[in-house]
Amino acid sequence: MNEFLDALRERVLLFDGGMGSMLIAAGLAEGEVPDEWSIKRPDTIIGIHTKYLETGADVIQTNTFGATSIKLAASCRDGAPDMAALNIKAAEIARQAIDDFIVGGRFLAGDIGPTGEFFPPMGTLSTDAARKAFREQAAALEKGGVDIFLLETMYDIREAVEAIRAVREVSDKPIVCELTMEKKKKGYFTIMGDSPEKAAEILVAEGVAVIGANCSLTSGEMIGLVGEMRSLTDTPLLFQPNAGQPELADGNAIYRQDPGEFADDLMKMVEAGANAVGGCCGTTPDFTRVIRARLDRM
Amino acid sequence: MKEHLDSCRQAIIDGDAERSEELAKLTLEKGMPVLEVVDNGFVAGIREVGRLWEEGELFLPELVIGADAMKKAMDILRPALEGGKGEQDRLGHVVIGTIEGDIHDIGKTLVATMLAANGFEVTDLGADVPVAKFVETAEEKGADWIAISALLTTTMPGQKKVIEQLEAKSLRGNVRVMVGGAPCSEEWASEIGADGYAGDAVAAVALAKGKAG
Repeated sequence: MNEFLDALRERVLLFDGGMGSMLIAAGLAEGEVPDEWSIKRPDTIIGIHTKYLETGADVIQTNTFGATSIKLAASCRDGAPDMAALNIKAAEIARQAIDDFIVGGRFLAGDIGPTGEFFPPMGTLSTDAARKAFREQAAALEKGGVDIFLLETMYDIREAVEAIRAVREVSDKPIVCELTMEKKKKGYFTIMGDSPEKAAEILVAEGVAVIGANCSLTSGEMIGLVGEMRSLTDTPLLFQPNAGQPELADGNAIYRQDPGEFADDLMKMVEAGANAVGGCCGTTPDFTRVIRARLDRM
Repeated sequence: MKEHLDSCRQAIIDGDAERSEELAKLTLEKGMPVLEVVDNGFVAGIREVGRLWEEGELFLPELVIGADAMKKAMDILRPALEGGKGEQDRLGHVVIGTIEGDIHDIGKTLVATMLAANGFEVTDLGADVPVAKFVETAEEKGADWIAISALLTTTMPGQKKVIEQLEAKSLRGNVRVMVGGAPCSEEWASEIGADGYAGDAVAAVALAKGKAG
């Protein structure tokens, strides 16, 4: 049996929180690509992973959200780093943070985000190109030693399917897949119009271990989605909302939501059927600490 | 005539580019009033697509397909409108791009597509566009609007820099500036002295039309 899947059956798992805002606080400059810090500033990344472990995260996510070859080529203006080396390094340093941490039983999720390109009619991305990019990234993360794969912030279910199949070509480890949805008048949808029904049907048929949603929605807005998805599937569910909507202060976006309020919303999600929770944009180890305390009290 | 207008409108809503082209050609062949067909047929259709998108009835693929059908029809009809460039002259020219350091393309492309579909002349500079490039292009094209997208808090200050550079070159009086992108807001727009904020493609069209000429 798989230890991650066993743990998921036994208790509600806590995934970590945001990486981007932590990096900006650590000095990530304008135009710098967060993923490159795994190579440029590995100690900073290890420090962030360790903070999340210390505050009680069961699962930490590699700093590889934008590290497909397609996304790197678009975001690294002065030439993209070696995709495979970057992903291997990111997985290795996150693994090191887990190994050096005093308590065992923590898991490493190899984080895979969307390519940033679109299939027709919006763009020119082909399924073959998407599959190849995801396969290469997944192979590197596998080599770096991840426990599970976390495909997140997927806005097109077709791209998510390519990512799932790509991971399957290189690994048997559990796959978690989160779509990113907005709340419209008629319910929750991705920007492509993919509904929770479609997500439950297609992603579960692809054999993922966990499905869910992250980003775009605040914790309050996401609660309704949990019950809806629970009614559609028995598959374990993961939710990672944003810490409110960004607000501007002195030209910088800040997330003002209180960790306690966020944690309260996450507990409502657990009551509605979530098997795992965590944070996305704007969440920090301060959030993880409060959520951990609430989960332990449940 | 009413039937023809309804067909044009529906072809756009259905995102049927082939049918839109046929109807546009038929408009010219039968000598129908082009401006009326554009305004009450095709434009009515793209407005409806925009409305349905805002309502959450349609999504990104339908919006893009509808805008493409609109573009195909307008490419055929535009030469017949007021001797060629009438409508575009009336609405104006928009220089649009995502600011440097920011590669988020989607929202900006949507705004550009909808502006073009609604009859604006659009120069899309793409993503990661240097501040000076916005200013130079606007000056060169005699643009009425500069539309600047920023999706990152770290790149938003670039929107302000464009306005500052326009002021430094004494061009601010000739060109209006709209800003957009997830972290932007009305407050941000007024803080940096922009002429407006557009939260989505439909709002951008309304903003540009409201203040054009």
